[in-house]
Amino acid sequence: MPEENNKIFHRKKILVVFLLCTGALLALFGRLVYLMIWRSDYYSQRAVELHERERSIKAARGRIVDRTGKVLADNKTVCTVSVIHNQIEDPDEVVRVLSGELGLSREYVRKRVEKYSSMERIQSNVEKSIGDRIREYDLAGVKVDEDYKRFYPYGELGSKVLGFTGGDNQGIIGLEVVYEEYLQGKPGTILTVTDARGIEVEEAGERRVEPEAGADLHVSLDMNIQSYATQLARQAMETKSADSVSILVMNPQNGEIYCMVNYPEFDLNDPFALPEGTPGNLTGEEEQNLLNGIWRNGCINDTYEPGSTFKIITAAAGLEEGVVTPESSFSCPGYIMVEDRRIRCHKTTGHGAEDFIHATMNSCNPVFITVGMRLGVENYYKYFEQFGLLKKTGVDLPGEAGTIMHKPENMGLVELATVSFGQSFQITPLQLITTASSLINGGTRITPHLGVYVSDRQGETVQTLAYPVTEGILSQKTSETLRGILEKVVSEGGGKNGQVEGYRVGGKTATSQTLPRGSGRYIASFLGFAPADNPQVIALAIVNNPQGVYYGGQVAAPIVRQLFENILPYLEIEGWKNEQGL
Amino acid sequence: MANRGKRRKEQSEYFFDYTLLFVVLFLLGFGLIMIYSVSSYEAYQDYKDASYYLKKQAVSAAIGLVAMIVVANIPYRFWARFSMLGYVVSLVLIAMVPFFGIESHGAKRWLPIPGIGLTLQPAEVAKLCMILFLANMVCHMGRSVRTLKGMAFLVGWALPPVIMVWQLTDNLSSAIIIMGIAVLMIFVASPDYKRFILAGAAVVAAASALVYYISTVGMQEGMNFRFKRILAWLNPEAYVEDTGYQTMQALYAIGSGGVWGKGLGESMQKLGFIPEAQNDMIFSIICEELGLFGGIAIILMFILLLWRMMVVANNAPDLFGAMLVVGVIGHIAIQVILNIAVVTNSMPNTGVSLPFISYGGSSVLFLLIEIGLVLNVAKRIQLKEV
Repeated sequence: MPEENNKIFHRKKILVVFLLCTGALLALFGRLVYLMIWRSDYYSQRAVELHERERSIKAARGRIVDRTGKVLADNKTVCTVSVIHNQIEDPDEVVRVLSGELGLSREYVRKRVEKYSSMERIQSNVEKSIGDRIREYDLAGVKVDEDYKRFYPYGELGSKVLGFTGGDNQGIIGLEVVYEEYLQGKPGTILTVTDARGIEVEEAGERRVEPEAGADLHVSLDMNIQSYATQLARQAMETKSADSVSILVMNPQNGEIYCMVNYPEFDLNDPFALPEGTPGNLTGEEEQNLLNGIWRNGCINDTYEPGSTFKIITAAAGLEEGVVTPESSFSCPGYIMVEDRRIRCHKTTGHGAEDFIHATMNSCNPVFITVGMRLGVENYYKYFEQFGLLKKTGVDLPGEAGTIMHKPENMGLVELATVSFGQSFQITPLQLITTASSLINGGTRITPHLGVYVSDRQGETVQTLAYPVTEGILSQKTSETLRGILEKVVSEGGGKNGQVEGYRVGGKTATSQTLPRGSGRYIASFLGFAPADNPQVIALAIVNNPQGVYYGGQVAAPIVRQLFENILPYLEIEGWKNEQGL
Repeated sequence: MANRGKRRKEQSEYFFDYTLLFVVLFLLGFGLIMIYSVSSYEAYQDYKDASYYLKKQAVSAAIGLVAMIVVANIPYRFWARFSMLGYVVSLVLIAMVPFFGIESHGAKRWLPIPGIGLTLQPAEVAKLCMILFLANMVCHMGRSVRTLKGMAFLVGWALPPVIMVWQLTDNLSSAIIIMGIAVLMIFVASPDYKRFILAGAAVVAAASALVYYISTVGMQEGMNFRFKRILAWLNPEAYVEDTGYQTMQALYAIGSGGVWGKGLGESMQKLGFIPEAQNDMIFSIICEELGLFGGIAIILMFILLLWRMMVVANNAPDLFGAMLVVGVIGHIAIQVILNIAVVTNSMPNTGVSLPFISYGGSSVLFLLIEIGLVLNVAKRIQLKEV
């Protein structure tokens, strides 16, 4: 029966075919189980990442608050206008409306409208009122997102200290940079589900991760003092036709900076404005250099030869080492020979016989050179380092300049002589006031600073900021002697323009000629502190290139006097009258 | 199942395979639902008509069902006389493609049907004609099928349409399917095993050697796109920007479905991530929306379909009927296996549609005609003799 045989083997073969196909299908079944159970989490995660588009929500930047609770840097609501290429229905209308409302050229807007991208920003930092108006046109493809912009209620006050922020709300200079991590907060995100074209799938809803506002920074600045000091600086600059005026006020006991003025200041709400009369054809680089100059904080970014104010340091070193006492007697013929060099006193006829107190009151160069010589290069350098002058102050501001000083091996007697009265090396104004503070406060090297503590929006302290302190850089006794001598400088000597009625003020003047010598350019400065027996406040005024009378005692000391007359009562610092019950 | 026979007036009891018909109608209906679910979003975006693809497919399915009913009522032996004609016609149609073909998706595979605005894919015609032709040929060859010469003779007849589909319409996957159908039919026709096992082993070895060679060479400039697809198959994530894109998107869809799926209509991947997901990639969206459960249900439905057809083939009144059904089994089984293997990245990417479910008019029309043939073969089974 061949036919039957045929049938049997055909049936068997058909069964084999069926089993082969079923086997293959069951293998794919297994593959599906693997993909959809074991690999499910992996592919689901990848798929969600593919489908979700992230839009970030800016976090409100933390505020900067002064010691009296005034807000120095705040946020205001502004809008960012963008277009979504795929969703625009009427490009001409969009170009017309946006160029009109935002005051931009049509070509500029058209280029962005026609650019094929998921989202193109037209302009940020748009006033909220304009943003609201654009929103009312209800144009397809135009997005108006609300955003924060930094706002500085005090305009130019403390501009170089506070700093400002850029387009992405990141700090660019000043405290805004240094405390970026506290201030910036954590941006939130809106996660929306989109199709492959990037169009949001509305039914899918959105997930929001709320932004966290940045923390508030509380600084030691006092806007009342800053404001008054700025006025004084402006006056001095105008009356003396000076290039610039810097005023620093701080607490010599703990290094808290009350005010830091670098006049001229700039408007923090418009930091990129170029001064009037700037030629319009500057290259980008030239413009940036010009702006960097405008933003420069002279108190910490620039160094200068301190001149006679530095005699405080030489005096402290001499007294501490015992090579001089207040009663030591000297004679000044109007010059002193150092090796083969004849270094003149500013009083060419000489001060004659004088003790060390009077030498300081007279700011007599030969006497201080003599003290320096008695110390010798090695000792002088030792104190220079011990007082903290070789290191940066560590202030919480960016770009602090370091000290420019002779290397000890290159320091001969001539160099030592000039250093002794504050020439041939450079330090920052902040370094000078910090070192002086540390010498008169009993010998504790403090770190000058602005940031005091960081709090959340409700005022709850998040972190108290601490700064390093080095005790014993000078003995208590020497410090006290030094305060006494410096008080005499103000009460009877060259600093008498720094006297404040009812208060014991100590201080030292300086008039230094800037390099190159003989250019006729001077820096007049005065460093004063009060009360002289227990310093609570120290101030440094520097007038750069005053015209006419250029002596520190005449130009800078009155600034500090006027400042002290106002701020000592304001800071509730008691004068001697009160002590005596008058 | 067999007791569900149908009594006819004159004849004794004949068999009508309701199970087979039910499975086919289920798959067809399910396919239409999935086509709507998968394509509506893109259809609305492109044509402002969410049911654009659904309507076109429903028309094809309706035409196909009419054709199926007609074919199911014509005694299958009637078709034997057209086997050579069909073979020639399919060759002519394929040969016309390079001259009159319509290009779509970067490939020229469709012929316009003048007057009614529809298109026809000659490769689908060739599959049906190959089944008819080989079934008839095997019957006429008698015992000579068993010789090596006889087998070579059949292969020789099968090769021209295969090579033409591959070369003239640049459609390797259809060529493989037609070749697969022929091989399965010859396998059933011949009592021999050894030669088939040897040939199968040789094909597997050659394919492995090719894959190994390509994986060591790596991606080259100007490389054949099929070689690139092999590389993308081995490591789809590395080529996600290019050849691996579709595969990765399918894997995201399948993987994110999980056990129970996201629910009908809830697929994310159909929103343009898988381009034209209603075509070859529809199984991945089924998995995404209906989960492992849905995917396995579809596989089981196909196994059920194959089993019913096997029963019909085994009980066919003659060799011609049995061979026809074997050809249909081969056609459907190969397409289902290749399609699911591609979307699960079990083999390199190649365009194979999922029978009855994927969008495609020619495909569903010719599949339903084939089912009509199987139903007619089933009808001829005399229950008394079984």
